[in-house]
Amino acid sequence: MVSTLSLDAINTLAAMILLADFMLVASSRMRSLTRIFALQSLAMGGLAAVVAFETGAEHIYVIAVLSVALKAVVIPRFIDYITEKIQVNREVEPLIKIPGSLLICAAITILAYFVTEPIMELGTAITSNCLAISFATVLIGMFLMVSRKKAITQVIGLLVVENGVFLAAISTTYSMPMVVELGVFFDIFVGVVIMGIFAFRINRTFETVDSTVLRRLKD
Amino acid sequence: MIEAALILPAVLAAICILLGRRTRLVEAVSVAGAGSMLVLGLYLVFRVFDQGSLDEGIWYMDQFSGLMMLIIVLIGSLAMVYSVPYMRHELDSGEVNPKKVAYYYGFLFLFIFTMVLVVVSDNLGMVWIAVEATTLVSAFLVGFHNKATSLEATWKYLIICSIGISLALLGTIFIYASSLPILGEGSDLHWTSLMAVADQLDPAFLKIGFVLVLIGYGTKAGLAPMHTWLPDAHSQSPSPVSALLSGVLLNCAMYAVLRYHVLLTHSQLGGGFSSGLLLLFGLLSLGIAAAFIITQKDYKRLLAYSSIEHMGIISIGFGFGGYWGIFGGLLHMLNHSLTKALLFFGAGNVLQKYGTKNISEVRGLVRTMPFTAALLMLGALAITGSPPFSIFTSEIMVLTAGIDQGNILPAISYSLMLVVVFAAFMGHIVKMVFGEPPQGMEKGEISKMGLVPMIALAVMITIMGLFIPDVLADALRDIIALFGGLA
Repeated sequence: MVSTLSLDAINTLAAMILLADFMLVASSRMRSLTRIFALQSLAMGGLAAVVAFETGAEHIYVIAVLSVALKAVVIPRFIDYITEKIQVNREVEPLIKIPGSLLICAAITILAYFVTEPIMELGTAITSNCLAISFATVLIGMFLMVSRKKAITQVIGLLVVENGVFLAAISTTYSMPMVVELGVFFDIFVGVVIMGIFAFRINRTFETVDSTVLRRLKD
Repeated sequence: MIEAALILPAVLAAICILLGRRTRLVEAVSVAGAGSMLVLGLYLVFRVFDQGSLDEGIWYMDQFSGLMMLIIVLIGSLAMVYSVPYMRHELDSGEVNPKKVAYYYGFLFLFIFTMVLVVVSDNLGMVWIAVEATTLVSAFLVGFHNKATSLEATWKYLIICSIGISLALLGTIFIYASSLPILGEGSDLHWTSLMAVADQLDPAFLKIGFVLVLIGYGTKAGLAPMHTWLPDAHSQSPSPVSALLSGVLLNCAMYAVLRYHVLLTHSQLGGGFSSGLLLLFGLLSLGIAAAFIITQKDYKRLLAYSSIEHMGIISIGFGFGGYWGIFGGLLHMLNHSLTKALLFFGAGNVLQKYGTKNISEVRGLVRTMPFTAALLMLGALAITGSPPFSIFTSEIMVLTAGIDQGNILPAISYSLMLVVVFAAFMGHIVKMVFGEPPQGMEKGEISKMGLVPMIALAVMITIMGLFIPDVLADALRDIIALFGGLA
C-alpha cells in the first residue's frame, strides 16, 4: 500500500506547485519569474520521483531527472541569458495590476477544483488529487501569457502551461510512455530556443520586446 | 519501407543546408529530391490503396494515412518546383542572400519530413510530437522575410499554436488514461491498440479528451474561433510556403482530430458526440470566414480566410457523417489542397509582379500576365465551388449528406454561406484580373517555370471534377468503412 509519508510528500509538493503559480503572478521582476519557475519545476521533478518510488516504475525516475535538468536548470538559464542579451528592463510590466491578477487566479483555482471533481473520482492513481492543481496551473499559465506585456513572459507562461500538463500526466496516468515523454521534452526545449531566437529578432527590429507593438496585422 | 519516406526528406534537408551558397546546386538537389519524394510517396500510397494497411511497429499506414501522404508528396513536390523561380526572383531583387536560400530549401524539406511523421506514426503521443515539430520548423519559413510584419506573424503563430497544442497533449493524456484500466501499465498509446479495445474505453475520459484534442489540433487546423494566427501566418510567408501551410498542414492537423473521431465512433459513446462538435466548429468557421472574405483588402489574407472556410466545410462533412458526408469530407481534403496551392502560386506571381498585397492596387492582370490571370481565374472559380471543377463535387456530397441525415437547418445555412463566399470571392478576383493595369506596368510573366506546377494543378482539379479515379474511390470507401459510415 501507499505509505502515508509518500502521500504527504505528494500533497506538499503539489501545494508548492500551486504556491509557485501564485508567486509567478505576484512577482514584478523578470529575474524572480525565472527563479520561481525553476523552483516549480524542481517540485514537479520531486513529485515525479516520489511517484516513481511508490509505483516502482523505473522510467519515471528518468523522466523526473530529465524534467529537473531541463526545466529547473537549462531553460531558466537560457531565458536569463536571452533577457540579459537583449537588455530588457527588469520590470514585468503587467497589463492587469498584480492585486487584480491574484484575485483572478484565486477564482481560476476554485474553478479548476469544480471542473476536475468528476474526473478525479474516476482516477485510480495515488496522485489523482493533483489533477485540480494541474488544471489550475494550465489556466494560470495561460493567464500569465495574456496579462503580461513582454514576449519573454509569454514564453514563461507557456512553460507553466507545460508544467501543468506534465502534472496532469503524472496525476492521471503516472506519465506517458517513455518514448513520448522524451519527444515532448525535446519539443519543449527546441520550442523555447526558437522562441528565444524570435524574441531576439523582435527586439532588434522593434527595439522593444513589448509584444503589444505586434499589432500591425489586422483585418 | 515507411522509414524510407521519412529518411529521404530529412537527408535532403541536410544536403541543402550543407551545400550553402552554391544556389544552382541546391536548386538541382531540391527539384531532383522533390521528384524522388513524389515517386517514393506515390509508390507507398498505391501499395496501401491496393493491398491494405502497412504495419511496421511504430509506423502504421492505412488508406487514411495514404490519402494524407498523397496530399503531402503532391503539394510538397510542386511547391518545391515552384520555389525555384520564386526564390530566384527574391535573390535577384536582393531580398535574400544565397545562404538564406539554402536554409529555405532545407527547412522546406524538414517541414515535409515532420508532416510525413504526423501521418505515419501509430503512436498518438508521437503524432503530438510531430504536430508540434511542424510548428517549430515552419516558424522559420513563416518568418523568412525577417520584416516587422512577418516577425509579428511568426510570434503569433508560435505562441497561439503552441498553447493550442499543449491542450491537445492534455487531451492525449486523458485518452491514454481511458485505456489504462484495460491495457494496463503496458499500454503503448498506439492508435491501433486503442482501436482494438475501443468499445471498452472509459467514456468520461474519452469525452473530455476529445474536447481538448479538438480545441488543440483544431487551433492548428484553423477552425474558428481558434483561427486568429492563420491569416497572419499564411499571408506573411513566402507563397510556396503558404501553399504548404494551407493545403497540407491544415489537413495534417485535421487528420489528427479525425483519428480521435474514429476512436470515439467505435467506443460506447458512438459517433454522435464528436460529430456534433465537428459540425458546430465547422459551421462557425464557415460563417466567420465568409464575413472576413467579404471585407477583405489583401489578396493573400483572402486566400487564408478561404482556407478557414474550407477546413470548416471538411469539418461539416464529417459532422454530418454517413456515406456521403465522409466521402465528401475526405475528397474535399484533397480537392482543397490542390486548388489552394494553385491559387497561392498564382498569388505569388502577382505579388512579385505588382509588389503589393492590396487587392485595390492590382488591376488588369489579364493584360500584364495573361497565363497567370487565366489560371488564377480558373482557380477562383474552382475554389468557390463552380462546376465542372472538383470542389463542386465534394461540396455537393457534403450538402447531400446534410439533407440525408435530416440536418436541414445546418444544410441550408451551409449552402447560403457558400453562395455568399462565391459572390464575395469572385468579386475580389474579377477586380484584380480585369481593368486598367497601373501605369508603367510591363507586360510579361514573372517566370515560365512557375507556370508549370500551376498548369499541372489546374489539369488535376479539372480531371478530378469530371471523374474520380477508381483506385482513389475504392480507397475512400475503405476509409469510410473505418469511420463506420458504410451502413
